[in-house]
Amino acid sequence: MDLHLTSEQTLLRDSAVKFIQAAGPKVARAFREQDPSFAPERLRWAGEVGWLGMLVPTSADGLGLGLTELALLLEQAGRGLVCEPIGFAAISAAALAQGGTPHPVLERVMTGRALVVPALEESGYGDDPLSPRTQMVGEAGALRLTGQKTFVCADGADGFLVSASGPDEPALYYVARNARGCSLTTTQTVEGRKLATLGLAQAPADLIPPHPSSRNAVEALYNLALMALSCELLGVMERAQEITLDYLRIRKQFGKLIGSFQALQHQAVNIYVCVEAIRSLVFQIAAHNEVFDIDPAMAIALKAKASEDALFVTEACIQLHGAIGFTDEHDIGLYLKRAMLLSSLFGNAAAQRRRYVALANITA
Amino acid sequence: MFRRDTTAESHFRIEVRTWLEANLPLALRGRTARPPPAELMPWYQALSRKGWIAPHWPKHYGGMGATLNEQIIITEELARIGAPQLPAQGLNHIGPILMKFGTEAQKAQHLPPIIAGTVIWAQGYSEPGAGSDLASLSTRATLEGDHFIVRGQKIWTTWGHHSDWMFALVRTDPQAQPRQAGISFLLVDLRSPGIRIRPIKTIAGDDEFSEVFFDDVIVPTENLVGKLNDGWCIANALLGHERLASSNPQFPLMALERIKTMARASGVIADPAFQDRLAAASINVTALSALFSHAVELTNNNQSPGPESSVIKIFASELLQTLNELLVQAAGGHASTQNPITTNFGVVDVAAPFLQSRRVTIYGGSSEIQRNVLARRVLNLPS
Repeated sequence: MDLHLTSEQTLLRDSAVKFIQAAGPKVARAFREQDPSFAPERLRWAGEVGWLGMLVPTSADGLGLGLTELALLLEQAGRGLVCEPIGFAAISAAALAQGGTPHPVLERVMTGRALVVPALEESGYGDDPLSPRTQMVGEAGALRLTGQKTFVCADGADGFLVSASGPDEPALYYVARNARGCSLTTTQTVEGRKLATLGLAQAPADLIPPHPSSRNAVEALYNLALMALSCELLGVMERAQEITLDYLRIRKQFGKLIGSFQALQHQAVNIYVCVEAIRSLVFQIAAHNEVFDIDPAMAIALKAKASEDALFVTEACIQLHGAIGFTDEHDIGLYLKRAMLLSSLFGNAAAQRRRYVALANITA
Repeated sequence: MFRRDTTAESHFRIEVRTWLEANLPLALRGRTARPPPAELMPWYQALSRKGWIAPHWPKHYGGMGATLNEQIIITEELARIGAPQLPAQGLNHIGPILMKFGTEAQKAQHLPPIIAGTVIWAQGYSEPGAGSDLASLSTRATLEGDHFIVRGQKIWTTWGHHSDWMFALVRTDPQAQPRQAGISFLLVDLRSPGIRIRPIKTIAGDDEFSEVFFDDVIVPTENLVGKLNDGWCIANALLGHERLASSNPQFPLMALERIKTMARASGVIADPAFQDRLAAASINVTALSALFSHAVELTNNNQSPGPESSVIKIFASELLQTLNELLVQAAGGHASTQNPITTNFGVVDVAAPFLQSRRVTIYGGSSEIQRNVLARRVLNLPS
């Protein structure tokens, strides 16, 4: 189903479409095992056109846009298998700008000259974001973090937004990549890119105060990350679907186009139903929530469903291709791998459902 | 749901909730089978007097002309209180069709009684030989001067034996190719001589539908909607709206509440495996609400939901079945018993809603037909 967009939103989407024309499977392959595994100049370009500061208020030189615009951009990023971490950069910029006085690194983050990414996960099994084991000690001006963050998209990063427990409720901190006591251990992803475990040993940190509309800066950023990841998953599903439909329209077996077989048609429709449901969820939630005040039950519901459906869709797309879909040479596998990454970050479907049970009062 | 009420909307929600609490008879709450007309129609008429019977109809036809959010609020509040399912053939099907294709006389005659709840409508599409293959229907209407003579049989007619009027697809040109081009859309007074109606008992034990026999029934030509042989287009023109209206999240929301009550009573609610399935189903109800709101927004912007609306029909009907399967699991041994189950958390009907839910993927075009439609018309897959 179509979306009802303003002319500004249509412009934004069109420029995002242009941006991803220079991305796509071929480019994503070229970045395998590269350091960093994206093009820093493309990230700077995204900063120059304002995307990285899209959620930053105009008073802090951002575009002051909302979740619908974020969704339009990241949907395209997912479609194009874009390797530049536009989503994490944009939500981190928003987080850095949310307090009364923006953090000094904000300007460089918004222009794409510095990359800051969230580092909120500690187990990878959908831990409660508001109970981090990472500890903050110290006083204003001399805050120190100790702990470990997992599955951090640290590739090319210059700093991190880290959650930590302290004397009061858990809070969000900025830690520079080159700070004393800050170490990274990297592992390779299924896509041939990098994830890291971030070690913090008395690492100096700056407090990032919450936005006036949010209860807690950690929770707000976590929900924003769930939203961002789900928007990219939507794009991944959409493009995988298109590639597969094209194949069903040209591949012949038994003397007929395989897309004429009812069993395959119905599976194609199952894919379509998933894509439409996620699209409606993404844009309805985007339309009815503020950047720093996303209803947690909605963010969790969205990430749970997008994670599950994106895996179903990309798996089914490979099956509909047959043997060629199982080859590294064919692009369809790249979409499964991107779905595997995005689905697992910040809690997969099962992990989100566990959180949903606790949060949505299901058992009460 | 994912939307938060504005102050005005929250006032409206409280107004709806308060009024429903005060006016919906206790005996009609949480019913799974549709109550018989003698019980149900006074409630329909009460909603009508309040002005809330047709939130989606324009004001000048007696509707509420409600905003999207008001429509959704009414849906959610009806679900919350467990309001019974109303006969919808008038409100959701023939009403909107007449608004679009009817003559002024047809509108004047038929729309006010639909709003008032004084006339009940039935849909006459399916026949014994024309189910999924609807275009093969063979009930004949022969034009003779100022009237048609109708002969044939309709079946699976929801509430046929309770209805006063039927809108029917009839064959007016047996030679036409394609077959769709020989079908007309007629309004039939079910009190006419030559009509015989026989209720059919369902697996759920109710007599929700019936078969209707036409033995040389005289139907005046002014009861033809649109042009002769244009019936297929008319029946299909608003299919998107119909699929949309029948897919609103009210019943899944009610099913969810029923599952929670049953699972608390049986203790299954503490089982992590069950919790996971319940969370997944609950998340899918949220997704249905999103699909529904999205589609209603498009409709309000005068974009027809079109064949894409088959998505919401598939999603809503299959979700309702999943929910009822979960209800059966939550009920354990009680699921095999016919009558509602009395628990410490209230009375829960299990077998009846489960059995009733088996029909939702069949009526209004089966899930398989919806998938065929989407594959060909939306995904452009070859035939």
